[in-house]
Amino acid sequence: MPATFIHRSILTVGFLSLFHAAYSAAQHRSYLRLNDLDFTHLPLDIFIQTLISLFIIMYGVLQVAGDFKEIKASADLEDRTWETYRNIPSFYTFSHRGGKCSQLASKSGLEEIE
Amino acid sequence: MSADLIVDPQIRFWVFLPIVVITFLVGILRHYASILLSSQKKVEMQQLADSQLLLRARALRENSGYIPKNSFLMRKQAFNKEDGYLMQKRPPVTQNMMTDPSMMTDMLKGNLTNVLPMIIIGGWINWVFSGFITTKVPFPLTLRFKPMLQRGIELSHLDASWVSSASWYFLNVFGLRSIYTLVLGENNAADQSRQMQEQMQMTGAASGMPADPKVPFKAEWEALEIMEHQSKLFDAEDVLQE
Amino acid sequence: MATKVKNEPFVAYSESAIRNNLSIVEYCRTSVAAVSGCTAGVLGLTGLYGALFFIVAVTGFWFMLLGKAGIDSWKKFFISRKSLLINGIFGHFFTYILCWTFIYGMVHVY
Repeated sequence: MPATFIHRSILTVGFLSLFHAAYSAAQHRSYLRLNDLDFTHLPLDIFIQTLISLFIIMYGVLQVAGDFKEIKASADLEDRTWETYRNIPSFYTFSHRGGKCSQLASKSGLEEIE
Repeated sequence: MSADLIVDPQIRFWVFLPIVVITFLVGILRHYASILLSSQKKVEMQQLADSQLLLRARALRENSGYIPKNSFLMRKQAFNKEDGYLMQKRPPVTQNMMTDPSMMTDMLKGNLTNVLPMIIIGGWINWVFSGFITTKVPFPLTLRFKPMLQRGIELSHLDASWVSSASWYFLNVFGLRSIYTLVLGENNAADQSRQMQEQMQMTGAASGMPADPKVPFKAEWEALEIMEHQSKLFDAEDVLQE
Repeated sequence: MATKVKNEPFVAYSESAIRNNLSIVEYCRTSVAAVSGCTAGVLGLTGLYGALFFIVAVTGFWFMLLGKAGIDSWKKFFISRKSLLINGIFGHFFTYILCWTFIYGMVHVY
């Protein structure tokens, strides 16, 4: 499945949540500093929110990045139609009579127009 | 413990954050500027034809087992006879870097997008944001890191894990590389170190590139000359019958 | 020439598909390194805990990656499982340290 709107919004929610957690942590630090307390650990709710938002972002990134392709060459071949089997680039040739013809054609066409 | 050092929160918004943002945006800007300035390399017709010729000769040499001897000899003749493909005379290519104006402008543009912003922005950052303690790395470091991380601050008693503003700028310059990859895609021009490498390679290739086609032609000619036709399909009928 | 068709005993890989997969993985891993760095900074981890957190995050992401590819069917998409975990880990660690330092400075220093 390609990246959908839902996955993008999941990613956005994750980032917002992480940002919110960071802001809360900064607030907590300034609160501690104002009250002359020592920093031992973050409050549990901020801690949990941070971890959860990390997982949400990981999931979102994984979904947004795109799908894997099968690396077996045969997988590629399986859904080729018979028309493309004759398409072999190494045998392309451009210096055939078609060029001359079309040149003539376009010239004469131009002259007619003029 | 130097964690007790209290830093003015204003520094966070007027020094710490701007450095990151400026470094990042300059990288992005450089990316687009180099896209704007870059010129498509024109490939010379003659050179392209020569390289394709060499490829054809090589293909003949490698796959000669699959064609009849007669056909092989015909092809070999086409390449190797007196006025064959591989014996063509080419005017000696003397491409001097200094006389070729396109090469010069390319180099100038490379410098314009690489070195100039580096000097200007670096100098400007040093001038505007000098002498601040910006941040602290969250892991202990030995004293050896002091000159690296505390450029612009000569305090011998400061703990080594504090980072000065100038050093923070350099950390950003070198550390944002992967973020650029994330934002701009794989082949971006924002990353200077990669670009410098590329430039080195380019100069290396350019000095070797005034490719005198004579030399590889000669080698190919010799290889074809001593080549002995050996059919790989002599038992094809037998295999088919089995 | 993306596909090379060989005889049966050899497994032929499509070059462009491999490159596509690897670039997706690289993209994800870089972002995970950056985001986990930010998380570590918010949590205020210091010293060895930060390094441990990086290892945990990367390994956790590795499992998520394998989960996306399918526990049994990862062989369809990647040649080696281990290289998904190991490749370029020092570059990612550098990204991680930068983000870690940045967010730690933003949140905890001032």
